[in-house]
Amino acid sequence: MKITILYGTETGNAEMLAEDIQSEIEGDHEVEISNLEDFAPADFDADCFYLLVCSTYGDGDLPASAQPFADAMAAEKPDLAAIHFAIFGLGDSEYDETFNHGPKKLAELMIAHGAHQVGERVAHDASGSDMAEDLAFPWAETVIAEVSEKLGEAA
Amino acid sequence: MSGKIAIVGAGPSGCYLAQALLKKAPDLQVDLIDQLPVPYGLVRYGVAADHQGTKGVARQFARVFERQGARFFGNVAIGRDVTLDDLRAAYDAVVLAAGLSTDRRLAVPGDDLPGVYGAGRLTRALFEHPDAEELPDLGAHPVIVGNGNVAIDLLRLLAKAPEELDGSDLGEGPSRWLAQSGIKTITITGRSPAARAKFDAVMVKELAKLSDVRIEVVGAGDSDDPAELKTLEALTAIHGHGDGAKRIIFRFGLTPKAVEGEGQVQAVRFDTESGEEVIPCTSVLTAIGFEAAPGLPRDALVAEAADAEEGRLAPGLFAAGWFRRGPRGTIPENRADAQALASVILDDFSADPTRMGGQVFDGLDNIVDYSGWSRIDAAETGAAPEGRCRTKLATRETMLGVAGARETTK
Ligand SMILES: Cc1cc2nc3c(=O)[nH]c(=O)nc-3n(C[C@H](O)[C@H](O)[C@H](O)COP(=O)(O)OP(=O)(O)OC[C@H]3O[C@@H](n4cnc5c(N)ncnc54)[C@H](O)[C@@H]3O)c2cc1C
Ligand SMILES: Cc1cc2nc3c(=O)[nH]c(=O)nc-3n(C[C@H](O)[C@H](O)[C@H](O)COP(=O)(O)O)c2cc1C
Repeated sequence: MKITILYGTETGNAEMLAEDIQSEIEGDHEVEISNLEDFAPADFDADCFYLLVCSTYGDGDLPASAQPFADAMAAEKPDLAAIHFAIFGLGDSEYDETFNHGPKKLAELMIAHGAHQVGERVAHDASGSDMAEDLAFPWAETVIAEVSEKLGEAA
Repeated sequence: MSGKIAIVGAGPSGCYLAQALLKKAPDLQVDLIDQLPVPYGLVRYGVAADHQGTKGVARQFARVFERQGARFFGNVAIGRDVTLDDLRAAYDAVVLAAGLSTDRRLAVPGDDLPGVYGAGRLTRALFEHPDAEELPDLGAHPVIVGNGNVAIDLLRLLAKAPEELDGSDLGEGPSRWLAQSGIKTITITGRSPAARAKFDAVMVKELAKLSDVRIEVVGAGDSDDPAELKTLEALTAIHGHGDGAKRIIFRFGLTPKAVEGEGQVQAVRFDTESGEEVIPCTSVLTAIGFEAAPGLPRDALVAEAADAEEGRLAPGLFAAGWFRRGPRGTIPENRADAQALASVILDDFSADPTRMGGQVFDGLDNIVDYSGWSRIDAAETGAAPEGRCRTKLATRETMLGVAGARETTK
């Protein structure tokens, strides 16, 4: 399957995780990786499954590298009805009121433009004891299986 | 591209720079040198013990050594153990990422009275920096001067009840010191009106979780700027919070004029819009910024820089992070900065294979390499008691002992 991992980050944790996910799955899939700040809404390709990895900053905001993408989405209003994505979030439960709001906002943005979310949004907690990859690898496996089944049926 | 680059300081700027350099040019030899036997700078000794999530960036920095091939030369002070000139001769490029660690002084009469303590001095003592001075007695009524995030960190830590430090890495001594501090009132003062206070609104919001305080915000004022409103809303929201034992008072528009007392701090005299005001206190904690530590001629180097904005000090000599920019900006800013600087360095980089690189440290005693740090790290996390995620080794001696300890069992 063609998979593109898109990450939104501020201090680099999401980037590191995105690279780890890439190493984990590239044996079985054709995987590309991009920072969201280098990705334009017009780049979305219906033949590709998107894995989004995104952190949270400020007061439940998108991290810096996701902001230009969010602005471009608002300006270009792309039709993403043919696009499937799954999303993994990074946050810190110390910020309890806005825990993982960055990825939540990013998912809402994708859905608002017609994209289909596959699987549940999984959230890593920087104050918790889990390593991000220990949550993200099973998540990636699950959503990839789910989308294979879904697109397999459609084809 | 091959070549040898030395980075002085293994704090966030140094580590992000090594990460960016090795991403662009994996064959470079990048050496991170730190005066401490342990890496990560203020991530370990500045970021508050109860903000472990923020310290998570250390996992990325570990990768720089473990996977990207950077080397760590710990317990080596440039300017003392090796001169900057010798270092520059040994490497194709040298980057100064040594931070700024000396507390800026109030620069008013009485600012050197016993009982006046800088935030750097206090946080180093709280977070068990090996060169820290003792934790002082602050008395029942400390005043914090300063309105940045560091001031709020101090306020929060001083106000916490012991159980609110669960999950942190605050050491046994500092935990006991806090529990027995006897603090009754903490007044935090800023020069600017509240709307222009430098702390982040989220830092203020976090105070609403404190269990043993009662918070008063005096004279927050108004604004119609959206960013300023965020701060004001956060302050308004915590006003009146709690009915605990420690009283916290936020005051604004107070410019320190003198610290007063006979042989010991007894009050701070402020200028305000409506005349002078004297606030009695038992200690003064200043959190008003940092300047260069002795050892490297930072101010002269930056003043004579070829292009300080880009980070070029002189041919083959660069500056990064707080050392370049001044004591402003959080960890993410150092990352953006380091990525830009990596391009600047590599844009006109030429390697001379005859340079000796890390051999310049040959003959120095007690250098701690990355595996030495890994042993310290393992010892610290392994020894964490109930309610703590780490027990820091607090002296150079114990660090060097553990770092040097060879494994005896297979
Ligand atoms: C108390 C405090 C709390 C903070 N909390 C946060 C926070 O919660 N979140 C956040 O994002 N930012 C926080 N910051 C800001 C953040 O710490 C800085 O942005 C960042 O650490 C600057 O990185 P640096 O690498 O330039 O300097 P530093 O982190 O200071 O690293 C400099 C390194 O250089 C070494 N060094 C110095 N001189 C020499 C020498 N002559 N030879 C060899 N080595 C040398 C030092 O030992 C140190 O390891 C805080 C700052 C302070 C002071
Ligand atoms: C200043 C600051 C603000 C943050 N705000 C939030 C927040 O509102 N909600 C949340 O869940 N996490 C928040 N976080 C935690 C980060 O999302 C978390 O540390 C994450 O691992 C960072 O990933 P990144 O390095 O990819 O940006 C914040 C962290 C910092 C330092």
